[in-house]
Amino acid sequence: MILLEPNSFVLEETLLARFASEKPEVVDITLVDFDNVIYHVQTSAEQRTLLTLSVEMKYFSQVVGFGAEDILRREYGDFLVPPATSQYQIALQFNLEQLPEDKAGLAKHVSMLKRNVLASPFLRAFEYWESQQEGAGPLMATNYRDDEAIYVQAQQDRVTVIFSTLFKEEVDRVLGKVFLQEFVDARRQATIQNAPQVFYSSREPPLEIRHLPGLKQDESVGYVSFVLFPRHFANAEVREKTISQIQLFRDYLHYHIKCAKAYMHSRMRGRVQDFLKVINRAKPDRSVAVADKKTATGRYFRPNFRQPVAAAAASQAEGGEW
Amino acid sequence: MSRLPPVVIDNGTGYTKMGFAGNTDPQFVIPTAIGLPNQSRYGIASKRGIEDLDFHIGDEAMINSKTYGVKYPIRHGQIDNWDYMERYWEQSIFKYMRCEPEDHYFLLTEPPLNAPENREQMAEIFFESFNVQGLYIAVQAVLALAASWTAKNSQQTLTGTVIDSGDGVTHVIPVAEGYVLGSSIKHIPIAGRDITAFVQQLMREHGEVNIPPEDSHEIARRIKEQYSYTCHDMASEFQKFDADPVKYFKSMDAVNSVNQQTYKVDVGYERFLAPEVFFNPELVSSDFLTPLPEVVDNCIQVSPIDTRRGLYSNIVLSGGSTMFKDFGKRLQRDIKRIVDGRIKKSEDLSGGRLQAKPIDVNVVAHKKQRHAVWFGGSIMACTDQFYQFSHTKAEYEEHGPSICRHNRVFESLA
Amino acid sequence: MSNTLRPYLNAVRSTLTAALCLENFASQIVEKHNVPEVEAGNTKEVLLNPLVVSRNENEQVLIESSINSVRVSIRIKQADDIERILAHKFTRFLMMRAENFVILRRVPIKGYDISFLITNFHTEQMYKHKLVDFIIEFMEEVDKEISEMKLSLNARARIVAETYLSQFV
Repeated sequence: MILLEPNSFVLEETLLARFASEKPEVVDITLVDFDNVIYHVQTSAEQRTLLTLSVEMKYFSQVVGFGAEDILRREYGDFLVPPATSQYQIALQFNLEQLPEDKAGLAKHVSMLKRNVLASPFLRAFEYWESQQEGAGPLMATNYRDDEAIYVQAQQDRVTVIFSTLFKEEVDRVLGKVFLQEFVDARRQATIQNAPQVFYSSREPPLEIRHLPGLKQDESVGYVSFVLFPRHFANAEVREKTISQIQLFRDYLHYHIKCAKAYMHSRMRGRVQDFLKVINRAKPDRSVAVADKKTATGRYFRPNFRQPVAAAAASQAEGGEW
Repeated sequence: MSRLPPVVIDNGTGYTKMGFAGNTDPQFVIPTAIGLPNQSRYGIASKRGIEDLDFHIGDEAMINSKTYGVKYPIRHGQIDNWDYMERYWEQSIFKYMRCEPEDHYFLLTEPPLNAPENREQMAEIFFESFNVQGLYIAVQAVLALAASWTAKNSQQTLTGTVIDSGDGVTHVIPVAEGYVLGSSIKHIPIAGRDITAFVQQLMREHGEVNIPPEDSHEIARRIKEQYSYTCHDMASEFQKFDADPVKYFKSMDAVNSVNQQTYKVDVGYERFLAPEVFFNPELVSSDFLTPLPEVVDNCIQVSPIDTRRGLYSNIVLSGGSTMFKDFGKRLQRDIKRIVDGRIKKSEDLSGGRLQAKPIDVNVVAHKKQRHAVWFGGSIMACTDQFYQFSHTKAEYEEHGPSICRHNRVFESLA
Repeated sequence: MSNTLRPYLNAVRSTLTAALCLENFASQIVEKHNVPEVEAGNTKEVLLNPLVVSRNENEQVLIESSINSVRVSIRIKQADDIERILAHKFTRFLMMRAENFVILRRVPIKGYDISFLITNFHTEQMYKHKLVDFIIEFMEEVDKEISEMKLSLNARARIVAETYLSQFV
């Protein structure tokens, strides 16, 4: 598995299991997605056939400003209900008796919910570009994690996406740098010349967001900018794909940093085995010494371990017995 | 700040159960198997550097077993191959659970008598590769005890005898105040797999010619899971069946997996004979002949004397093969019989001068038996104590992996 | 192998062989105790002058010898951040498994990355020349392993980046 899926596998499976089960059971399930999104799947207390999916998404209030509600209405209009408590920002309700034919398709579609909500700033930026306005569009910030944010800004001829990433640990920071450097350099390859341009800077925020207050500026922070060109979002199909991919950038990066560490561990394990072989060569071959050797009188003879094998053999030849 | 729910992963020999704490059932129950590309697929020339990401886990490993070699990273409950296990976890977390391990606490399980070095290795992987916030490694038997706290007749203690019967082997594990009494653990070489094989054999013997050979194992498993129950007494049950066959003999519909035709299977004596294997092992085994109640009694008798009453009064069932109807009741009756017999004998020997305080035998069955270990973990990870007792990333950085050698036991459901 | 590495390893090998001239020696401070004098360090007369074999300032071996024990500490080449982290991770990984390596110290001497402690009991039970071989091979392999890991890390990063970006094409 190199790429991550845009939808939540666990949410899809859970919903499908509910949709497909013949008798409605009372369930109360909490699930989590990347970037602190919590899903709560619950059957209603009064009516077992009503299944509610509540979503807790801290940055929802931010993306509402970029038209997330319109997207929700468009994608999930039939199921949308007001959330029960203020803890949740989005709620969908399904009547298990009146589900559409394609249950698997519905489960899959709902499991894309987080992706669709987070798509709003991107879509807004692409619309701005389509409107052919002069100058740069508004800078849209989404604080999708506690200390990390995505900034999206449309220009006349391109859309810039900036991720601020935070590495909690020194090792991750160094490995992350290696990976990010390759992202920057990768475009030199002929086959991916058309990919978005990537810039990376640690500590220094890029020009577009430098004016923002409260940006962290130390070693642990890095800023990655993607420059999307019209070919990445002019076509509707490509646009959706671009959004799915770019959202997962942070998770993708961190996933691969972790995989790289796992790979290093497995290499080191192999190397430890090799070293053990070498050091065990220094130990005299005990199987010779341990073998029971009886003397003529029927007593056991045990050579001294401290002697190297050659000396032991010599003393054995003398017929030493003790 | 509200915390994200901890992730609970129970890696068993056969199946891995994983899910988020607070739920009553694991989100995924998948085989603990990893499918690795066959050697021939990568020549030396095509070495690209990320071959180690080309693998499948769980059911997908089974589906792709034609092009991928299936390996089992856990043997006899213990992790056998750390390379495979690390990658197994990698995909469990990122693909199945889909969470960022940096944001979560993790609860893992270990078999009784696990070596502390294995705990260190687990800690090394979870803290260094995955950067988890915190880690707690719990003993499976203790979690099974905690899972029984939801049962009606439970005493909510961490003292008790756990009967853990999965697919491969059955263990009887005494636990005193959260610590496993390692020297008293007993194993029984009879478990789910043997029962299925026994049912299969019975079906063959009473001439169910309809069953195609390739489906017979699956049919036997379904009969075991859907129709079996534990009887009071084998002889009288046979009489009952013979007296009124219409009432007791069942008929099951099945579909031929090859030509999709439906056919009927008669289900008879195997309904009560299947679980009977535990009480009369001579049905299936020629070398292991001690019935389960006797094994449990032996196990408690070799435990320290001051724990025995507690162990008798809280016998907890865990694992799929203990799910038979009335299994707990039968077990309780049989153990009680052995214990009462022993007390009576000693009273008789004393000539009636000594009067023993009767021993309370109590077998706890509950709804969550099948994934009891995972469920226990899910409960524990919801308590405040979990966060106090877990080893945090900061502690790991400070002291190294050796901190995970010891995991404090939970006192109660606070 | 580069031309400066060979003499460096040769120097370490002969120094180490000479230093591994150990005999049993009971502690003069505590009765009935037998401690590695180089670790205890409180009996001045049985300690020899420590010796540093150095290829350059980043690659050094410190050999401290005494009557019944020798301590060998190695400083591994670390050219940049990645090599530093890889070396640190690798030595830590090894030291976690120190009990299997008999002569490996769980904690390195300050200023060095990894330390070995060889006592007279080790030399009595194992072949001396093979112990020396192990340390020399270790020094060779560690450098090789670290640079290989660095290469594979870079290769990995490249594929990861390319795979991601090729999604957009």
